[in-house]
Amino acid sequence: MHVPFCAHHCGYCDFAVVAGRDELIDRYLDALEAELARLGEAASVETLFLGGGTPTHLAPEQLDRLLATLARWLPLHPQGEFTVEANPDTLSDDKVAVLARWGVNRVSLGAQSFASATLAVLERAHQPEAIAPAVQRVRRAGLMVSLDLIFGVPGQSLQDWRADLLQALSLQPDHLSTYGLTYEKGTPLWKQRRRGQLIPLSEADELTMYELAMDLLGERGFEHYEISNFAFSGRRSRHNQVYWANHAYHGFGLGAARYVHGVRSVNTRDLDGYLRKALAGESVTRASEQLAPEERARETLVVQLRRSDGIERAAFTEQTGFVLDELIGTRLTTLVEQGFLHDDGQHVCLTRRGKCVADAVIERLL
Amino acid sequence: MTDPQFIRNFSIIAHIDHGKSTLCDQLLLKTGAISERDFRNQVLDSMDLERERGITIRMHPVTVYHEYKGKTYELNLVDTPGHVDFGYEVSRSLAACEGAVLLVDATQGVQAQTVANAYLAIEHDLTIVPVLNKIDMAIARPEAVAEEMDSALGIKADEILHASGKTGQGVEEVLAAVIDRVPAPSGDVNAPLKALVYNSHFDSYKGVVVYVRVKEGTLRKGQRIKLMRGGNEYEVADIGQFRPAPTSCSQLVVGQVGYFMAQIKNIADVHIGDTVTDALNPTAEALPGYKEPKPMVFSGLYPTNNNDFETLREELAKLRLNDSSFVYQPEVSEGLGFGFRCGFLGMLHREIIQQRLERDCDLDLVQTAPNVTYEILTRRGETLLIDNPQKVPDAGQIEEFREPIVRINFLIPAENIGDLMTLCHERRAVYVRTEYLSQSRVILVFEMPLAEIIYDLYDKLKSVTHGYGTMDYEVIGFRPADLVRLDVLVHHKRVDALSTIVHRSNAERRGRILLKKLREEIDRHLFEVVLQAAIGSRIIARENIAAIKKNVTAKCYGGDITRKRKLWAKQAAGKKRMKMIGQVELPQEAFLAVLETDE
Ligand SMILES: Nc1nc2c(ncn2[C@@H]2O[C@H](COP(=O)(O)OP(=O)(O)OP(=O)(O)O)[C@@H](O)[C@H]2O)c(=O)[nH]1
Ligand code: SF4
Ligand SMILES: [Mg+2]
Repeated sequence: MHVPFCAHHCGYCDFAVVAGRDELIDRYLDALEAELARLGEAASVETLFLGGGTPTHLAPEQLDRLLATLARWLPLHPQGEFTVEANPDTLSDDKVAVLARWGVNRVSLGAQSFASATLAVLERAHQPEAIAPAVQRVRRAGLMVSLDLIFGVPGQSLQDWRADLLQALSLQPDHLSTYGLTYEKGTPLWKQRRRGQLIPLSEADELTMYELAMDLLGERGFEHYEISNFAFSGRRSRHNQVYWANHAYHGFGLGAARYVHGVRSVNTRDLDGYLRKALAGESVTRASEQLAPEERARETLVVQLRRSDGIERAAFTEQTGFVLDELIGTRLTTLVEQGFLHDDGQHVCLTRRGKCVADAVIERLL
Repeated sequence: MTDPQFIRNFSIIAHIDHGKSTLCDQLLLKTGAISERDFRNQVLDSMDLERERGITIRMHPVTVYHEYKGKTYELNLVDTPGHVDFGYEVSRSLAACEGAVLLVDATQGVQAQTVANAYLAIEHDLTIVPVLNKIDMAIARPEAVAEEMDSALGIKADEILHASGKTGQGVEEVLAAVIDRVPAPSGDVNAPLKALVYNSHFDSYKGVVVYVRVKEGTLRKGQRIKLMRGGNEYEVADIGQFRPAPTSCSQLVVGQVGYFMAQIKNIADVHIGDTVTDALNPTAEALPGYKEPKPMVFSGLYPTNNNDFETLREELAKLRLNDSSFVYQPEVSEGLGFGFRCGFLGMLHREIIQQRLERDCDLDLVQTAPNVTYEILTRRGETLLIDNPQKVPDAGQIEEFREPIVRINFLIPAENIGDLMTLCHERRAVYVRTEYLSQSRVILVFEMPLAEIIYDLYDKLKSVTHGYGTMDYEVIGFRPADLVRLDVLVHHKRVDALSTIVHRSNAERRGRILLKKLREEIDRHLFEVVLQAAIGSRIIARENIAAIKKNVTAKCYGGDITRKRKLWAKQAAGKKRMKMIGQVELPQEAFLAVLETDE
């Protein structure tokens, strides 16, 4: 479920977001309800992810209304996982209370960094001081906490990154996502880099930072279960694992993506268009595609490879109808010999070296 | 029967772009061979490639009729290409003529091919009708150019006609001068048939069309004829002249130019320069014929996808049907698999063939860098012709390594002499002489290795002379030189298709430049790629391509999957077009890196 509103547009962000159009929030909630109503009847779900944008940018009443709508159309399984994304400076006690009341059991907090300089380069709105109190509020309400961190930010040193990781660990999160900074086309950061106003870190530095995260978090007992994700045992994001298994999921809201009955589709990213169409009861889908079986199998192969569990041969064949070794042939052996893939006969997964160059490995498997 | 007295045969020759085809347009219009309605610019340039590039590639003969002083004359004229690669077409057409209209662009003046082609005409004993062309242009400088013609070719101002192919000005005078000055063809009409084969082309419906000039006797439809070189006999099925469309007639008599067809299936059976005679009443002696043009530039052509090998073979065979100057032979490269070694007359010729294969036949090709033919005298006393660096034997077996040498004439502004001297010196040229055409324009003559000129000398000449220099060359023979084979090892594996033959004194520098260029062209891999240049077992240069250290998409959630999949698939598709050398992927550009001569 996508909520596009933010207090401010961060410099690296290319999600479907709007800043400074809060007057549209109520209409957006109407529109979401209308889009959900097209389901016809309530659909019970095992995991829910409310992201954005900043869902917690909504006022407590609005948040309450949104969660009520969700509960009506997408009732959560009793053992279900319900995650909400939040920014540190938006998480007041009353909002946390609303979340808890509606069964949210996990908060993914966009901390990004504990250094003001790094936050400034990223053009984030919050201050480092806001992070710890936000975590504590969520904790007190009995919800799990995940923290997002970004590394490879211009000006960030290895020491800075180590400090970020240590501070994050000191807050004892259940789950950590560490993202290498990506210069998404068209974002302010991308433009600055193109104009030479911003000098990206070297590949070697980025690599050291990534390896530091792997080492440090590994020492502290975290499992590195996906390229950018770490969790204590039993606290992985169930929702996100659906993506990496290449299983089906719904999606609602501005720019939302879904994968239902073998068809991938995305909603429009244009807010006004979304509101107009959804409120008129029309489809808000912008594009959809259905892959041929072999393409789908290859897609499954590459997304599953992002998991530390990798690809399980039997499950892969069951899911896709293709035999892994027939799809990739001798290239597998070569990559195993070169030390980028590990193959125990049942599973194929990336080695530690392989994770650092996963895209290059993937290209060779397509 | 057409009386030879009323026949004139001539070619139109000039430097490239001096307006030959455009003047032909006027000659065709003025004589009524084509109507205003059918007219299009450079109407004789009928091949697609000629029209696209705006240049003439093949000779185009045409027969027109002209009234002059109350008599009708048959004029057989041949439009010729100006580009140096196709110089053999000029020679061929001159052998069918008694005269040549030598055009000189009045704005550009005498250029390298003007001189070269004029000398060809003189060698053939032809009467030259000099014409200053493009005089309609405001920047024309007829007096100065006339002086250049005098100093370069001894042509006097009072012989020179002034004309414009654009406006038609002076064209009547050109026709009159051709009739007045070019001698009528001679030859005995009662002697046995003797006709010169000066060209041919393959028509998929009619088979081989043979272009002939009758030197003695008569060629008739239905006649039993013999091609003297191979001894094969045929019956003439059709006979005609180009007006400009092929137009049948019943016979061609002494002095006339035309074509015949005789159900000849294989173009290889028709040798240009051969003599056609009557099978029942043969002539005693064949005509001297021509020197066959020898391909001088060779390179390997390999299908990127090995399955396309047979298709490539078929397409090459088709091309060769109409272009006997192009040769090919299957070859195997360790790195590139199965392909062909192809020989071309020059770089333009090579480019044209490659373009046809890729565009018209939709083949993805890897092309190796062009090289020239070398001669090696072995210790055992054999002489080997080397058209592929892979075939160079071990240094221990070589007694003498020889390379083709050209005599090259540059026609340049006098102020650029110094720069050109430097350029030529870098390329192992030996200075021969300087001739002044005028105070400001000179001809510089050098002898230099063909290998040093084929790739980029022309571009370099244009740049040192700001576009005003031209050049022309001919191969004069082979000379010994201190040559070595420079090998390239990619990740410790010698890549045969990257080997080149270079002068020992240049080897290190070339090796370094080549590796630098390769480093730019080859993508980074998952491992460090080592590039080495070697002569025999001695490594003379080395470069490393660092391994990819970090390359991983940070976020891949529900909304990202489609986009990422497309991106990865695109990159993977790019890799497919590359050639694998061991574990290293080489793009097409890598194979041409060998040509890079600049630091
Ligand atoms: N102004 C002017 N332009 C001319 C004249 N003759 C030719 N041109 C132009 O010069 C260019 C070359 O003309 P072509 O007739 O193709 O020259 P060419 O000698 O046949 O060229 P190649 O066959 O490639 O050697 C064209 O752009 C013509 O339009 C002329 O008398 N006056
Ligand atoms: S708060 Fe999150 S969603 Fe909003 S602009 Fe910043 S990064 Fe993007
Ligand atoms: Mg022409």
